[in-house]
Amino acid sequence: MKVAIIAVAVIATLAAGFIFAAGPEPHIVIPGDPLWEVGPLTITSTLMASWFTMLVLIVLALVLTRGLTMIPSGKQNFVEASVGFLLDQMEEIAGREHGRRFFMVIATFFLFILMGNWLGLLPFFKAIGITHDYGTEVFEDITHQFEEGEPFHDDHHYFAWEMENTGGVALAKSGADTFKFDIHEGDDPGAALDAYIVALAEFFTDYEAPEHEGEEHHYSAEDVQAALAALEADPDAPKFVEGEGVVSPALGVSFAEIEFPGTKLAMVYPFLRAAFSDLSNTLGMAVAAFIFIQFWGFQSLGFGYLGKFFINPLKNPIMTFVGFLELLSEFIRVISFSFRLFGNIFAGSVLLLILTFLAPFIAPLGIYALEMFVGLIQAVVFSLLLLVFAIGAVTGHDDHDEEHGEGHGHGEGAEPHHQPQALQAH
Amino acid sequence: MGSWMTPVAYLLGAGWYFATCIILGVVIGRWADSATGLEPTFTLIGIVLGLAVAAVGGYRMLLPLIRRLDDEPRE
Repeated sequence: MKVAIIAVAVIATLAAGFIFAAGPEPHIVIPGDPLWEVGPLTITSTLMASWFTMLVLIVLALVLTRGLTMIPSGKQNFVEASVGFLLDQMEEIAGREHGRRFFMVIATFFLFILMGNWLGLLPFFKAIGITHDYGTEVFEDITHQFEEGEPFHDDHHYFAWEMENTGGVALAKSGADTFKFDIHEGDDPGAALDAYIVALAEFFTDYEAPEHEGEEHHYSAEDVQAALAALEADPDAPKFVEGEGVVSPALGVSFAEIEFPGTKLAMVYPFLRAAFSDLSNTLGMAVAAFIFIQFWGFQSLGFGYLGKFFINPLKNPIMTFVGFLELLSEFIRVISFSFRLFGNIFAGSVLLLILTFLAPFIAPLGIYALEMFVGLIQAVVFSLLLLVFAIGAVTGHDDHDEEHGEGHGHGEGAEPHHQPQALQAH
Repeated sequence: MGSWMTPVAYLLGAGWYFATCIILGVVIGRWADSATGLEPTFTLIGIVLGLAVAAVGGYRMLLPLIRRLDDEPRE
């Protein structure tokens, strides 16, 4: 009986999702959505999310560390336990001295990545943003190319949703139609305009262009005329305004601008999108991690640090080659670090987006749980590997044997503040 | 972090690292081939170099884990 009720509830929720919450076809973009230009810099949605994450971390740190007492209670207990746990983990792997030395940086990386990943799962991410008017942009691109008097140099793909304008706020309709328009390399701007007129007429009105054999995107004068007439007959359809601008070869008329009196064709550029679903952000993190590793290496070993990579070929040619490979691997780590984090988080966000589109309400829940876990694991992977490389950078080649069996391999019950013998010797 | 999470993190990290090394080797090799017209010389060099870097870097990366497993008492 119980099972039947649950089954009915699940099916009803799924059905309700399909009927009332059908989202428009998702559009997957790899780079962060450009929101504003500030001088030479572009503020993207992922950058905004990074700042948001920092803000949350700073506010949390301020709130949780107010009124500290010697005998902790409540929130202070929680903070001390979390920080203590992280420190213990790091000391267990790196030893007391190095663990404390690296703690500030690596714990910051860990908390920032963890918080960035988890905040990215909140529902207001990828949902609210500014609209980018693609309907007008297509026309402007064509006009711009027409003024240059050359065919298009590269492919353009436009993807937009039908959006309702309600007092300065645009809303994507439930189950909104998707408008797609392509301009290919080598297309003539005039022909692209004709194709655009036909595409708009097909999208907004009942007009359908007759099929022509052979050439795609090439319409006869009658087709374009019929398409324009269909657009003008419908009050809600977009209107082409005559004037100096781009000349349609089929009509012989010049158009200056395009107006969208009813629904417009636009795309949402969200204010916030998971911070690490952008390769630029993860690359930034990886470069910062790389700089820290090199800094610690030089700090500990001085210029002897370079001796790890550059070995005299007359002494040991094989080690010279291994040193060269190690040098390469230092740089490949940056790429590997950035792609690992980006790949995992981006794939997760795409999975959520597609699943929400296919089956809203119930199905994405399991994936949300999985993504929470992936977010944690990726934060652990990033900080753990950073720690391992940092240890590798601060230990010279001669220390390797000493280190064995001392700094590592403490089992579960090992005392966390254990000091490795190699360090006590100093 | 549970005792299982550290090895998992090591292995996940190493997996991506191997993949990156080999893919980068191939991609850079392909690019050098198309730039010089010496196909398949640089692609082969790229693959071999990528594998070598993967082996050396991967060994360094997994060394702490290998030691940890060595030190753990066997049942």
